[in-house]
Amino acid sequence: MNKVHLTINDKQLEAEQGATIMEVALENDIYIPHLCYNPDLVPSGVCRLCRVEINGEKMVLACRTPVEDGMVVKTNTPEIDAAIRPIVELIIADHHSTCRGCPANGKCELQKIMAHLRIDRKRIDNLRLPQDKLPLETLTPFLDYDPNKCVRCGICVQTCEKIYGTSHIYFLNRGYDTKIACFETNAHCDFCMECVERCPVGVLIPRRIQSE
Amino acid sequence: MITADFRAMAESDWQSITDPSIPQIFIGMATCGEAAGALSIYKAMESALIKNRIKARIHKTGCLGMCYCEPMVDIIKPGQPRITYKNLTPETASELITDYLINGNYRPDLALGVWGKELDGIPNLFGLDFMKFQQRTALKNIGVINPEDISQYVACGGYKAFEKALGTSQQNIIDEVEKSGLRGLGGAGFPTGLKWKACYKTQSFPKYMICNADEGDPGAYMDRSLLESDPHSVLEGMLIAAYAIGCSRGYIYIRDEYPLAIKRMAIAIDQTRQYGLLGDNILDSDFSFDIEIREGAGAFVCGEESALLASIEGNRGMPRHRPPYPAESGLWGKPTDINNVKTLANIPAIITNGAEWFAGRGTESSKGTAIFALTGKVANRGLIEVPMGITIRRIIYDIGGGVPDGKKFKAVQTGGPSGGCLPAELLDLPIAFDSLAAAGSIMGSGGMVVLDEDTCMVDVARFFLDFAQQESCGQCIPCRLGTKQMFEILDDITKGNGKQTDVDVLLELSDSIVRTSLCGLGRTAPNPVLTTIRYFRNEYDAHINDKKCPANVCQALVNGGQVDE
Repeated sequence: MNKVHLTINDKQLEAEQGATIMEVALENDIYIPHLCYNPDLVPSGVCRLCRVEINGEKMVLACRTPVEDGMVVKTNTPEIDAAIRPIVELIIADHHSTCRGCPANGKCELQKIMAHLRIDRKRIDNLRLPQDKLPLETLTPFLDYDPNKCVRCGICVQTCEKIYGTSHIYFLNRGYDTKIACFETNAHCDFCMECVERCPVGVLIPRRIQSE
Repeated sequence: MITADFRAMAESDWQSITDPSIPQIFIGMATCGEAAGALSIYKAMESALIKNRIKARIHKTGCLGMCYCEPMVDIIKPGQPRITYKNLTPETASELITDYLINGNYRPDLALGVWGKELDGIPNLFGLDFMKFQQRTALKNIGVINPEDISQYVACGGYKAFEKALGTSQQNIIDEVEKSGLRGLGGAGFPTGLKWKACYKTQSFPKYMICNADEGDPGAYMDRSLLESDPHSVLEGMLIAAYAIGCSRGYIYIRDEYPLAIKRMAIAIDQTRQYGLLGDNILDSDFSFDIEIREGAGAFVCGEESALLASIEGNRGMPRHRPPYPAESGLWGKPTDINNVKTLANIPAIITNGAEWFAGRGTESSKGTAIFALTGKVANRGLIEVPMGITIRRIIYDIGGGVPDGKKFKAVQTGGPSGGCLPAELLDLPIAFDSLAAAGSIMGSGGMVVLDEDTCMVDVARFFLDFAQQESCGQCIPCRLGTKQMFEILDDITKGNGKQTDVDVLLELSDSIVRTSLCGLGRTAPNPVLTTIRYFRNEYDAHINDKKCPANVCQALVNGGQVDE
């Protein structure tokens, strides 16, 4: 495999041709905020958070842009911050539940982003927060879904399709009301747990098997 | 070639309509006409003809563009010019049969205009202010011919441009369209010739041709009227494009909410197939092409070209990342050309009259004409086609007849939910892609809504953001959450719950959404807010600081600033 040389935040790196900026950065301990990126899946580029500047001229998504020889990548310019900080604040405003008791607490990608960007809670008070907490929904006979925390990154949808080879869950509705749903109420789900494993924020909750 | 017999027959039939031996009656029956009562006019005239034992021919035409005059009827009496009558009722329509057809009274009180010299006090239709500033190219046949009869289109020169195109090389046609400077009239204004060239050059087969008729902007109905009134002009444009690019299959993506447009387009496709203009070896050439109608299921975002492709493929209508552009990898991964209805309707005229003729009109960077649906608080509402570069003032005050009821003009909204509101100071702004963009709005697909002094600009922004947040596909986070958040803030402001920080938050969110959204819907959704803040900041301040709505629209703020808790 051919090697390419590039710099990310002034750090000189060697990478394999064909790798994406995200892959190279994470491999070299350079964190780029992301929610919808998962190394096992095709980058869908919908969270829009992995915005980076290349060669001082344009903004691209790190997850969808392959590295090139001589590329100069910056992940932390004020312009990037101005573009993505409001998005993260929007997610937090919409993500109305406490971290205490959340299965993702401690390994949550959103917590990681908040820490990385040093999100100021006061600024979130200027936003409008959802009024009602939505009830848990039954996604499949084995899984509950918490719409209050879901960031609609689509990782679970892609996992079901690409990793396990089934398509039990998909997006429902549009706009703000978009959520993850099962195609049929009695659809099969083999409880492979692959989607639960990959959910960045812990919205898929395995149900306790109830004794008859 | 279309058989000489068919063309000759079509022309002689048209001759017998324009210079008839029995009266010819044309009833405007596009959706606008039908909504205004054209069906009952049709029945009333039909029974009046039968009752009076008059032999006449009734034609169902489309929309002449003068929606403020619907229901409209044209009559050609033997030896007389075509006369257009306006705002008829079943009673006045029946009176026309007895008064005009039997007794020879022109009824100037009901008439709008004559298709020719002034007659008995009835003015020349095309000398009316509404008509005289227009330059009709794409709209030249609307309201003139019966859209369900291919022979009338052929008699008016139809499919001659396609025949001419078939006789020349693909490269020639693309060059001609490129030289003409035609830009996509669906909203984004991308040069049509470049799009065709990119698709032509991609070496992958089959190639697809798509007509985007998923018009969804509130207050916009240009595509609908064109499809209902002259579907063959769009088909001819598609045929020329498909031949030039080398497409073998075409789709017309029409929103399901346009049943009449779908019906008339289906009839038009059947007729073209019948006359050998669609199918294998069209007009005995090597070119084979067929068209299918695909009905949209109601999502606004499917007008975005990559979401449209997903929808045709049977997937959830969500936009895709570009590049690759559809010209390289579109429908089912194949090269695909997607053009708007109005863009395609311009193509036959470019091929017939040449690129220089087309480029001779309009401005330096925006050639040709623009088509607008002029609506809102304006006297003459309707469909207009004007040269690029015309001022907003001319459109609203001369063509549109100004703001009715003695009210003051406040703003004009162009480009629907992706556009902005321009104030009175910009009335002399020439209409073109770049000038509108510089003013914070966009040309858009052609909605133009006039707002008077009784309009609250914060409420207008709230309306469009409500639309955007409902119609966002929900895929990318800035659009899904950002438009919702902006709507909630605007909703609070109109209810008297605005915070001091709100305008700054709106500006900051807008900036982020514009920069980071995946598709055009998100990238332009903040425009209504950005322009209303830019030009009507005082109204935001009045709502937030004084708890007052200057236009007295916001219910919670109308009673002396008393907020209902």
